[in-house]
Amino acid sequence: MIRIVIVDDHPAVRAGLETVLRGEPGMVPVGSVSDVTDLWPTLYRTKPDMVLLDYHLPDTDGLAVCRQIKRQLMAPSVLIYTAYAGSALSIPATVAGADGLVGKGVPAAELYDVIRRVAKGERVIAPIERELLDDAGLRIELEDLPVMGMLLDETTEADMLDVLGIDAEELDRRVERILQRLSIEVPRFAP
Amino acid sequence: MAAMGSPGASGTARAEGPAGRARPHKTRRPDATKASGARWQRPAALPPFLALLLISRVAATGTAVALLAAHRVTDDDTLLIAIVTTYAAAWTIAVYRWPGVTGRPWTWVADVAVVHALLWYSSDWRSPFYLLALSSLALPAAHLGARRALIVGFAYAELFLLTGHFIGPDPLGLGSQASLETLAIHLVLPVLLCFGIGYAAETLRTLARERRRGERLAIETERRRIAWELHDSAKQRIHAAHLVLSSAAGGERHQVTAAVEHAMGELGAASADMDTSLAELRSPLEGRPLDVALRERAAQLSGISGPRIEVRGSLPGLSPLHAAHAYRIAAEALTNALRHSRAAHVVVDLRTEDGDVAISVTDDGRGMPSSLRPGASGLLAMDNRARTLGGVLHIEPSGDDGGTRVEARFPLSASQAGASA
Repeated sequence: MIRIVIVDDHPAVRAGLETVLRGEPGMVPVGSVSDVTDLWPTLYRTKPDMVLLDYHLPDTDGLAVCRQIKRQLMAPSVLIYTAYAGSALSIPATVAGADGLVGKGVPAAELYDVIRRVAKGERVIAPIERELLDDAGLRIELEDLPVMGMLLDETTEADMLDVLGIDAEELDRRVERILQRLSIEVPRFAP
Repeated sequence: MAAMGSPGASGTARAEGPAGRARPHKTRRPDATKASGARWQRPAALPPFLALLLISRVAATGTAVALLAAHRVTDDDTLLIAIVTTYAAAWTIAVYRWPGVTGRPWTWVADVAVVHALLWYSSDWRSPFYLLALSSLALPAAHLGARRALIVGFAYAELFLLTGHFIGPDPLGLGSQASLETLAIHLVLPVLLCFGIGYAAETLRTLARERRRGERLAIETERRRIAWELHDSAKQRIHAAHLVLSSAAGGERHQVTAAVEHAMGELGAASADMDTSLAELRSPLEGRPLDVALRERAAQLSGISGPRIEVRGSLPGLSPLHAAHAYRIAAEALTNALRHSRAAHVVVDLRTEDGDVAISVTDDGRGMPSSLRPGASGLLAMDNRARTLGGVLHIEPSGDDGGTRVEARFPLSASQAGASA
């Protein structure tokens, strides 16, 4: 049984996901929250296998939340669920340590499939196109290039620290900087 | 002093653009369908700036004429009076007829030259034409900005001193203290006047620019808010509906029913969200009050097919959404009356009653058919709109000898939120 926590700021999406996940054998929604402050207690209480995380949250960037989740001990898998699924998000999602990236427009069957593959430990992110990689390379700092390369290549953190000769904090800082440079414009408005 | 009226006068001119735009139409011409275009044109009435400029000009001319009449200034006082009166009249007519010339440097130079020639001819720098000379500096000062206006002021003071030196009595050779004081005043006034007008005009120009920028920003914010609304509400709901429906494909009967119900709920809400956004995006009223828009629509319709359409009453300001829906309801009812009822006389009545907005369209035609033709979507749409506003739509016979009355009522309190927006 795959136990899933849903993070999305829109009630319609949360309700839809809960309905859909509950109806499928082998997976169950164990919690659904609208923002990050509610997320942590829910994670500690339910110990889910997976977090289905909206990319576009009202106050924070979904990828920043993803990094925070993945930093936990025994972290659940994180599947980014986004209305901006295009391949443009592939690189930032991988850098942030997400296990999967799926668009909000996909039919339920495909969502089930992605959830199952991620639960098995697979990384389900669309292959990164050459142009996107070139573009990302131009947008980030030169010294961050090896960090991004290794992250995309799924190098473990220990190996990265070893190769780069930096400490964990410095690595953290650099990853953050990469994500900032690669952030994608989404319509935002604070009413 | 007549000439001193000018700083305020030209100041008003700078404010005139934005103020004129913000001012609501008080009288509407029948061709106000092109309202957005008409609103940007120069108003038919003279702008306050030009009015004040003309008044100060007339006052300066009057002073000159009075002084010429009171004292013997030259041997040709009568001729001078004739010249200065004619010139003032020509100048006034020219400025009134072609206000655009007030911004042209050659008109400034010509004006200063003519007035200065008069001053020269009076052969004393304590001339009756001094006020006129000052008033000729108002236009350049208003157009050039504070710093350059100050330069113009100093330049004119120099020119005046030079003129005085040539036409006498020699300004620097005067012995008496009183004359030196007069000279000082004559020299300082143009400088102060030019700087004052220039500074005020520049400040007002800056204000107007800031206001335009503010308007652009407001539009941009509105655009982003609508994009955000579409994304955050409608799109999310459609995603949810799609997801739920797709999960039901091939499922059992009760699952499918539940999924369809869920999805329909979301789709209904999404459509309402989009209605809101679209009504704001594409208001049929284009900023006009509801009754004005309806009168125009009535004029268009009766022009085509003949029947007399009367629009009675008016309504308080409604929010854009409410006004848009109310307009569409009334316009649809009007179209129906003209298309199906063979009416000769249609009355659109707008009023508030018991805290409700009531809009009715009454015709004297042949009444409603006993059964509606299939696909009468106009009536359904009207009913939906009335419900969207939290109101109801009534359709009933209007009298014993046929005729139909369509009335939409919705609460007034809810419809005024954001009416000023």
